Amino acid sequence: MTLLERDPNAPSFWRDEMQVTNRYTFGIAGERFFRAIKDHEQILGSHCNNCEHTYVPAAAFCERCMKKTDEWVDVGKVGEVVTFTHLFVNYDGSQREEPETIAFIKFGDGGLVHRVVSPDSYPIEIGLQARAVFKPLSEREGSILDILHFELITD
Amino acid sequence: MSDKVTNYPGTSLTEKDIVDGNVLSIHDEMQGDFSWDTGIAIGRYLAGFKEGVILGSHCTHCRKTVVPPRIVCEWCFRPMDRFLPLGDTGTVNTFSLCYVTWDVQRIKEPETPAVIEIDGASPLHGIMHKLGEVDPQQISIGMRIKAVWKPADEREGAITDILYFKPTKE
Repeated sequence: MTLLERDPNAPSFWRDEMQVTNRYTFGIAGERFFRAIKDHEQILGSHCNNCEHTYVPAAAFCERCMKKTDEWVDVGKVGEVVTFTHLFVNYDGSQREEPETIAFIKFGDGGLVHRVVSPDSYPIEIGLQARAVFKPLSEREGSILDILHFELITD
Repeated sequence: MSDKVTNYPGTSLTEKDIVDGNVLSIHDEMQGDFSWDTGIAIGRYLAGFKEGVILGSHCTHCRKTVVPPRIVCEWCFRPMDRFLPLGDTGTVNTFSLCYVTWDVQRIKEPETPAVIEIDGASPLHGIMHKLGEVDPQQISIGMRIKAVWKPADEREGAITDILYFKPTKE
């Protein structure tokens, strides 16, 4: 056997698993943003008076002028579909029978990426409004998934 | 520089803040499954462990013996000439006493990884493994050691078929 031939009895691959766990804290602005979702079903933005820009999710500093943002604002529960996609593949790579729709929903000058469901399978379109549907208070834990999904407003 | 800083800016957090829910946090786990092609040389190397042998490879041109084995000589870039079994004894080249485990747990008894020059390989050629059956404070560079293998029927073709290296009296 030359050195360029594999030994058929040798293991041809090594299979293993890397344990990667992480814990993320949201920071000062993120903490306030997610507390508002958890405790008050509110989506908060922050406004920079200098740049006339409303950040959603709320940010502590304006990324245009680097100043502290001036005021926090409740941007409501209804935003506009800016772009969307239908997912036919699950996170683990398996195929889905029914697609899941995710969209970027505009609030203020920013927005959130989230699941969208549409009542009566009304087809989603760019420009439609969508309303945040929250989990019940007892199940909310301070995560973006405290918003169950956005529901299209079709009328 | 940092020793002049007495008051660090920012918000310090403790485990208690997380557990008590004073701050929100997300804990997540990534799926880190992987499958790695052993290639020609490392495949043979792992198969060797099952037989209780540490395998190296030799370049006749450079008169070099390397471990783990490779199929190309890293000095002359020619194909290596042959695999050859090395001894399961060696010398501590360098070592460390680790009081923190891989998942960041503090431990009282240190783990003792070492770079081990394997007998039969060219000088300064060796592998990394753990030391055992030794007082961590007594480990020294140049110490002579020998592999302690798993029982033959438990070996699976992995570097862990060697449990650790222990000192030998010579």
